[in-house]
Amino acid sequence: MKMGHAAAAIIALASSAAVLTLTLVFAVTGGEAPQLAGAMTSGSVAASGSVNVVTTILLDFRSLDTLGEASVIFASVACVGVLFRGSRRIGTEPGLGVLVRRSVGYLSALFLLFPLYIVAHGHLSPGGGFQGGVSLAVLLILLTVAYGSRPMATAVDPSRLHMTESLSALGFLMAGFVGVLQGTSFLANAAAGFPRGVPGSLLSGGLIPVLNAIIGVKVASGLGSIFFDFQSERGE
Amino acid sequence: MGLEVVFLGLLVLIVVSALGAVLVRGYITSVVVLSVFSVLTTVSFAFMHAVDVAMAEAAIGAGLMTAIFVTAIDRIRGQR
Amino acid sequence: MLQQAMYVAAAIVFGIGLYGVLSRRDMVKICVSLSVMESSLIMILVALAYRPDAAAPIIVDGVATYVDPLPHALALTAIVIGAGVLSVALALTVIVHRAHGTSNIAVVFRRGR
Repeated sequence: MKMGHAAAAIIALASSAAVLTLTLVFAVTGGEAPQLAGAMTSGSVAASGSVNVVTTILLDFRSLDTLGEASVIFASVACVGVLFRGSRRIGTEPGLGVLVRRSVGYLSALFLLFPLYIVAHGHLSPGGGFQGGVSLAVLLILLTVAYGSRPMATAVDPSRLHMTESLSALGFLMAGFVGVLQGTSFLANAAAGFPRGVPGSLLSGGLIPVLNAIIGVKVASGLGSIFFDFQSERGE
Repeated sequence: MGLEVVFLGLLVLIVVSALGAVLVRGYITSVVVLSVFSVLTTVSFAFMHAVDVAMAEAAIGAGLMTAIFVTAIDRIRGQR
Repeated sequence: MLQQAMYVAAAIVFGIGLYGVLSRRDMVKICVSLSVMESSLIMILVALAYRPDAAAPIIVDGVATYVDPLPHALALTAIVIGAGVLSVALALTVIVHRAHGTSNIAVVFRRGR
C-alpha cells in the first residue's frame, strides 16, 4: 500500500525498536533453545558420522524441515512457470564477444568442479546441497550470458530441467522411505542401517551425502528453471 | 581490539548500503546497491563464525538474486 | 559486544526495509526492500547463535566450544525460501507491468477501483 513518508517512517521506527527489544529479551531469558546446542553438537558424530553439525541438523535431525524447504522451492518454480505460461519462447540474450566465449569455455570446467566439490563435501566442510546447487544455477546463468539464449536452449532443454527437478524431489522421498521399509521412521539415517563410516572421510554420514546430492540437483534445476522462465518470457 | 573496530565499521557500512538500496532512484542502481549489501552481510556472517550461512548468502544474495532482478527489470523495460 | 552491536544494526536495517516496503510506489523497489528486511532477520539469527571465543560448527579435535548450530540451520532455510518468494514476487511484477503498462502501484490501484 502507499502511505505518506512520515507515517511510514514512524511505523518503521516503532517496529525497529520492537524488534530490538524482543531480540534482547530473548537473548537474556532464552528459554530452552540455547541448551539444545550442546546436545546437537556433541551428538552429531555419534548419531550420523558427519562432522559438519549444520548439515547433520538439516539432513538428519531436522530433515523433515528440509523436505518442506524443497517443497517451497518446488512451489515457487511451479508458480513462476504458471505465471509465464503463455509466452514460452527462446530468450533474447545475444551473447558476448569471442574473447568472453573462449575464456568462459576454458574456465567452465573449473566452474563446474567447484559446486560439485561443495555438494560432495557437505558433511566435511562448510557447504552442502543448497550452496552447491545455487552455484550450479549461477553457472547456468553465466553460460547463458556468455553464449546467448539460442545455443543454451539447444544445449539445456527447459522441459528436461523441469523433469530433473521433479525426479529429484521424488528421489528425496524415496530415500526417506527406506527408513519406513526398515521399520523405523521416515528419513531415518543411522537407525535405518545406513553406514556411518569414519567421521572425516568422504564416505561417511550415512544417508547425508545422498541427500546432499539430491538437494543439489533439485536446487540447481529449480533455480535454473526460474531463470530460463524469466529469460524466455515475452509477454504477447 | 582492532578486529572489533573493523566489525563496527562493517556494521555501519551495512546500514548505509541498506539505506542506499531503499532510497536511490533508478532500478539498476538499487539492485547493484542491494548486491553490495548482500556481500557486506556475507562478510559479517563470516565474522560471526557462521560459515554455512555465509556461503549460502554469498551464492544466493550476491549471485542468483541479482541476476533474477536484472532479468525482471529487463522484461519490464524492454532494454537494459 | 559483537552480538549487541549486530542486534542494533539488524534492527535498524529492519526498520529501513519496512520503511521501503511501506513508502515506495514502485514494485521493483518494494521487492528490493523486502529483500533487505529478510537479510536483517538472518543477521539476528546469526547473532543469536554467536558465542564468544568459540569456533565454527565443524567438529575438529581439540576444540571445546562451538557456536550454536541450530539458528544456522534455520537461517539457511530462510535464505533459500526468501529467494523463492522473491522470484515469485518479481514474476508478479512482470505480469502486472504487462497487463497495465506500469509498475507503479498507485496507478494500478486507482485503475482497479
